[in-house]
Amino acid sequence: MEESPLHPFELHNYIPLSLGGLDISINKAVIIMWVVVALVAYLMLRAGASRQLVPGKLQSLAEMLVDFIRGIILDTMGKDGMRFFPLVATLFLFILFCNLIGLIPGSYTVTSQIVVTAVFACVVYGLSLVMGFLLHGAKFLGILVPPGTPGWLLPLMIPIELISQLARPISLAVRLFANMTAGHVILGVLFGLAISGGVLIGWLPFAFTIAMNGLEVGIAFIQAYIFTVLTCVYLGDAFHLHGHDDHAH
Amino acid sequence: MPPSQDPFYAGLGQAVRIGTDLLASLIVGGGLGWVLDTYLLDSTPWGMVVGLVLGVIAGIRNAYRSAMRWPGSPPDTESKE
Repeated sequence: MEESPLHPFELHNYIPLSLGGLDISINKAVIIMWVVVALVAYLMLRAGASRQLVPGKLQSLAEMLVDFIRGIILDTMGKDGMRFFPLVATLFLFILFCNLIGLIPGSYTVTSQIVVTAVFACVVYGLSLVMGFLLHGAKFLGILVPPGTPGWLLPLMIPIELISQLARPISLAVRLFANMTAGHVILGVLFGLAISGGVLIGWLPFAFTIAMNGLEVGIAFIQAYIFTVLTCVYLGDAFHLHGHDDHAH
Repeated sequence: MPPSQDPFYAGLGQAVRIGTDLLASLIVGGGLGWVLDTYLLDSTPWGMVVGLVLGVIAGIRNAYRSAMRWPGSPPDTESKE
């Protein structure tokens, strides 16, 4: 019974594959990602197929999600941010479904692997950098100088701003990964207590497990939401280089 | 009210953000300082010390800024229904 609480996060290759020295083996995480992609695509296509004026259950759920994502974009980037809608919606739905599917016992939480979240974060941050340099050219480096900085403060402000810029992808990746991992470790430990406690006392941790599972559903939503909001904020920063205050609603 | 403006979610979102933002700036500051020390300047420990201090400043500054953006915080007294 002596098992590390991190044991469930270990991946074992089902089908070892390699492509030019690159390890592309099929493991549980890969399969779950395929399942998530298939599920999201199926649900969304199915919901969009009928297009009734009075929406059915599935269609109204999809409309709610789309409305939610559009609300986030309009709040953070304004109207011209809508061209990123496909990217933002894909990210949100993929992360949300990964988090939720991971809560089914026996399944796997893909977002508890920092590789996955780091790739998302790097894509988002890289895109914001590319966008910024394309739109503003070398003037985009001005993002390192907050408006209204006196000249003598520049040697201090530029390193600080550089650090906080570089911290963005890291905090994006670490937040999602850490929240998902920590939640599942807690669930695992509580359930282990319930099993080893027996009938007499085991019901107490078991009740906590159920309560925590409910909380984890909320966390799954909130983490997907935060990732999406921050994606929009970073892309928006690249758009309006400290221009008008785009955070006023 | 659209869910993205639900004060509960907005507040929870902010709360979760600030913690990791603090941590990430620390990691980046310390990491940059360490890289400078070890590979470029050979000035152990000073790069890391300065980097950590700058990281702390950057983290707190970011936390302060995102707290100030919070709808309903004192400086921008927006109407909060």
